[in-house]
Amino acid sequence: MKIVHYINQFFAGIGGEDSANAGPELKEEPLGPGRKLASLLGDQHQIIATVSCGDDYAASKDGAAEEILELVKGTDAEILIAGPAFTSGRNGIACGRVAAAAFEAGLKTLAAMHPDNPGVAEAGSAPVVPTGETAREMGDALEAIADAVAKLAAGEEIPNAIKGKGPRRNRMAEDNAATRAVALALKRLGGDSSATEIPLPDFGTVEPAPPVSDPADALIALLTEGGLVPNGNPGRLESSRATRWLRYPLEERESMPAGEFQSIHGGFSTVKANEDPNRILPLDVAREMEKEGRIGQLHSEYLVTVGNGMPIDSASGYGVEWAEELRKAGVQAAILTST
Amino acid sequence: MTDKEVGPLKLLCHDVESVGFGDSTTFEGGRLTVSADEAKACLSSRALASTNVSWISPGESARVIKVLDAVQPRTKGPEGAGIFPGFLGKAMPQGRGETHVLRGAAVISAGYLPRLQEGLIQMSGPAAELSPFGSTHNLVVEFEPAEGAAWEDVDLALRRGILKLAARLAEAALESEPDEEREVAPTTTPAPGDRPRIGTITNLQTQGTFKDVFVYGRSMSDSLPTLMDPSELEDGAVVSGQYGHPGLKNNTYLYQNHPVVAALRARDGQDLDFAGLILSPEPVEQAHKELISEHAARLCASLGLDAVILTKEGGGNADSDNSLKADACEAMGIKAVSIHGEMAGPDGSGPPLVSPPTKGSALVSAGNYDEIIKLDAVERALGGEILDLTDDPSTAELSLQTAAVYGSLNPLGWGRLTCWEEAAS
Repeated sequence: MKIVHYINQFFAGIGGEDSANAGPELKEEPLGPGRKLASLLGDQHQIIATVSCGDDYAASKDGAAEEILELVKGTDAEILIAGPAFTSGRNGIACGRVAAAAFEAGLKTLAAMHPDNPGVAEAGSAPVVPTGETAREMGDALEAIADAVAKLAAGEEIPNAIKGKGPRRNRMAEDNAATRAVALALKRLGGDSSATEIPLPDFGTVEPAPPVSDPADALIALLTEGGLVPNGNPGRLESSRATRWLRYPLEERESMPAGEFQSIHGGFSTVKANEDPNRILPLDVAREMEKEGRIGQLHSEYLVTVGNGMPIDSASGYGVEWAEELRKAGVQAAILTST
Repeated sequence: MTDKEVGPLKLLCHDVESVGFGDSTTFEGGRLTVSADEAKACLSSRALASTNVSWISPGESARVIKVLDAVQPRTKGPEGAGIFPGFLGKAMPQGRGETHVLRGAAVISAGYLPRLQEGLIQMSGPAAELSPFGSTHNLVVEFEPAEGAAWEDVDLALRRGILKLAARLAEAALESEPDEEREVAPTTTPAPGDRPRIGTITNLQTQGTFKDVFVYGRSMSDSLPTLMDPSELEDGAVVSGQYGHPGLKNNTYLYQNHPVVAALRARDGQDLDFAGLILSPEPVEQAHKELISEHAARLCASLGLDAVILTKEGGGNADSDNSLKADACEAMGIKAVSIHGEMAGPDGSGPPLVSPPTKGSALVSAGNYDEIIKLDAVERALGGEILDLTDDPSTAELSLQTAAVYGSLNPLGWGRLTCWEEAAS
């Protein structure tokens, strides 16, 4: 079968972090890990093209997955492979979304990444082939993908794939929720110990990072989900179900003065926060600690969103973006205040 | 007077078939006519510069935006005679004797208040059936705050005003022959028998002004969970002052017509015994949530419950009020069922709950918050000029989250909306 392979700018050889904003690009040949994959696939399947895209562009730009899919649709590919992304957050999110979009469009598809990659949640109904954590495990990952492609092409289930979940869609039930709740209670009392309308979500687990060895030497960032923005909310951050996060400078600022900053968070009474915005973003104390030498230096800007009513998918996506952002800036630790 | 003299609660239900305005407020042959002047007099307050009342009815090309609260017109006699205790009547338990109910009508307040998360009611098209008020005749109250009035006073004036107006409307039916008389026996904890004993815990949101719920006129925030005769809710013992999350909001109208209470009463004495209603606050601190939840579970145990149905109000924070109680009840051997709206993202692929239970895993879905729905443009809108949520004119065609429809994912279990997984092919 004919295959299009999706990979990021790094694996396509376009460039590193400096090329993270590169847009989608199609080349009619296997590239990077695709060359090895092509040989593993043998004669039965051919990689007819590679689509690449910068990590930032693919993970953060609205509609990026659809743009990438348009390029794929311009070929006569029957299968789309996205990845492997290992534990790379942005690449994983992109691979998940591209595979999800391909699945919706009726293509045979799979994504490949580590099971803890937040991109797994983005893959929708598309299967995800599990891989190791880093590109050091590329060989094993490509072999797993090649095996999975054979199953996919034969219309068989991929063993070990993280099974895609169907989307949950709104419907009208026969009875109202209260009547169904009573029926469910009777069912449980009747011995059906698993009856439910909502399967319990699995959030996975996040390993806490090791402590910073010497805070006096560290670059520390202040982050908040408390909706603290300059007065008037110039960036139009939403008070609930936020669809964005924003950044504002802290340079040459000793504290967060009342009247210059306000919280637009919709989940609590903002009166106390607006009386003293340091209650949301503790810049005053952090600056004191910086002067006393107890922490090395404060990062020059703060990142902010609103957690009120935020879908977990958005939250984990923003988490990946923030982590990348801070890593690039050389930040070693962050204080994230919640409300 | 003792209960014996007054007798159990008897609901005298009058069906409202048509509505209009006139010189005086009357109810005749199913037509409710309202004197706008009299309605405004009910709403008169120093905190309000002006008010306006309009009717909006099912099937109209119309919507209400910035919806605050909704109340069903009810009264126990002239001047309310004790209805809405703590606001209109003296703060004393009610739920006995006769109560007149105007079925098919609601008084709805609409406009800006702080902390309002904007919701709307569409009176025609598919979105109409998502709201309890897409199929009622709604007397919509719009208002202008008085200059310099504190928002808290505006809120209180509005709440007292619409309760008074609701009682006044029902008063018009005092002499009318009801369409239905329904006696509601007091819920007494039944002696242990063969039938399973099922109760319900109703969590009331208590997150401060504009996100608060009142019992006998007081916020429940400092209270422990308490056992309550459901008949008291019928007479307005619980009144909403909560303007967050329109889809996940429990308005006064639905406390007057508690869906889980109705569902339990429907099977009471048949295949279950309805063994009690517990009201509980939703504290904001984790430790307080845990205390309240353990305490509520003990109440359930002392009622000898075999199962309990949990309802919440609000978004992800309130998930934990259901989940902690469900787990605490299950740990005591009491089966727990919780009603939740899902927050699974626009494409329905995300985790549905923010704070899920571990043991109390029986969940009823009231639909996905985030799924996008489209609403046709309408000819008329009340409640404001601009829908702030989307920055659209109030009459415009709209594309928004299901949860923007007022009451669409009602956690008290009013709606038929639900959600399930499409099979992955």
